[in-house]
Amino acid sequence: MEFEDKKMQTVIASDQYLIRLGVKTLLNVIGIESDLYEADSFEELERLVNDVPDLNYLILSEDLLPKQKQDCLKDIKGSCGLCRAIIIGQQKIPNCVFEHFILHSYNRKQVVEKLQLFFLESDSTFGNHDSGTLSDREIDVLKAVALGCSNKEIADQLFISINTVITHRKNITQKLGIKTISGLTVYALMNHFIKAEEVR
Amino acid sequence: MVAFTKNSKMAEVILRDYQLLPIISRFGIKLGFGNKSIEEICTDRNVDLPFFLEILNSYHSIDYFPKNHLCDFNADVMVSYLTNTHSYYLNSKVPHIELFIDRMDQAAQFENSRNVALLKQFFNEYKIDIEHHFSEEEKNVFPYILALEKALKSNNCSPQLLKKIKREPIEIYERNHESLEVKLADMKNLIIRFLPPLNCEDDCEHLLTELFQLECDIEDHTRMEEKVLIPKVKMLERKVLEYYGV
Repeated sequence: MEFEDKKMQTVIASDQYLIRLGVKTLLNVIGIESDLYEADSFEELERLVNDVPDLNYLILSEDLLPKQKQDCLKDIKGSCGLCRAIIIGQQKIPNCVFEHFILHSYNRKQVVEKLQLFFLESDSTFGNHDSGTLSDREIDVLKAVALGCSNKEIADQLFISINTVITHRKNITQKLGIKTISGLTVYALMNHFIKAEEVR
Repeated sequence: MVAFTKNSKMAEVILRDYQLLPIISRFGIKLGFGNKSIEEICTDRNVDLPFFLEILNSYHSIDYFPKNHLCDFNADVMVSYLTNTHSYYLNSKVPHIELFIDRMDQAAQFENSRNVALLKQFFNEYKIDIEHHFSEEEKNVFPYILALEKALKSNNCSPQLLKKIKREPIEIYERNHESLEVKLADMKNLIIRFLPPLNCEDDCEHLLTELFQLECDIEDHTRMEEKVLIPKVKMLERKVLEYYGV
């Protein structure tokens, strides 16, 4: 459709080159297309977590963490917002703020499964690339709806079929979570798509 | 799910489902149940037991569907309960929500005060909608239900009533019974997703909680109209028609 596909942003953090390389290879194997950033020290990780805009995923080896593991993880979680993390380590860290782990004892199959699950799960929650922004065409339809036009009128104005209008309206409602015309009008006014004087 | 019975302890019912609190107060039942059963409480408070149980159960569980209990209570108890519920929404819930919107309005600055004003107007329209909906029911539907019951009791049925059963049965109301929750859901979405942050988190939180609760309550209210009120009225309509041999 007309909206821009946003690329995923992933940070791979480990002080060992081989681990970073291994992770990159596996991501390639399971077909994850993402911009990758590597951190080889905790400081570098902190910098990336703060600097990379819209960071989605963090794959973190515990060898990188200073002594107070749990506290460090809490800090990381605090600064990376909606980003999800998976930890590579000897064993699961008790009471950890992150729930995904890859243990050193896992074989290839287990590691691949874990990684797939990790990317898949987050995809359905917030990794959804369609971040809810409306396309230009959807905004045109939204404006007309907010101004009180019927589907037929909108179709005529925009030179599209009524079915297309209905599809746009469905997508708008799905993206915004707003169902009623008066709700959509408030949204359009809030975002200056239309002016208060124009509303019928 | 097991339904509550007349022997269930009132206190345990509330401990199990605190959302039932506003409902018992609509029946004039006050806290301090001790170990009394629902039946005992109803006797004390002069509340219609079969009807009270229907309401508790249909609010408690979405799947609850009354089958055999529709004959156990009179329509007038139901009508008076529904009327009470309407005034609870309008006199207690709506002013609460308005209060929090006003507080947000006071806290909002610059651009955002325009946004809050839009929300305020949106809720105002909603209020007019529900006032209209409720007054329609109170003016047209409820008197009709009472008339049906009276016709059965008094052995006297006006020709107008018979005409109405045939021309405008409750089924028509059922078909046009519009949902009152959708706009509330929109309002929540507008606040949660699109209203730029205000410096009055507490008021926002209270407002949202009120909206969530009202939405739930109205959903239950609608369900109860659809699952208890309408079947009951259909039964009355059938009986009147049978009785007067039309």
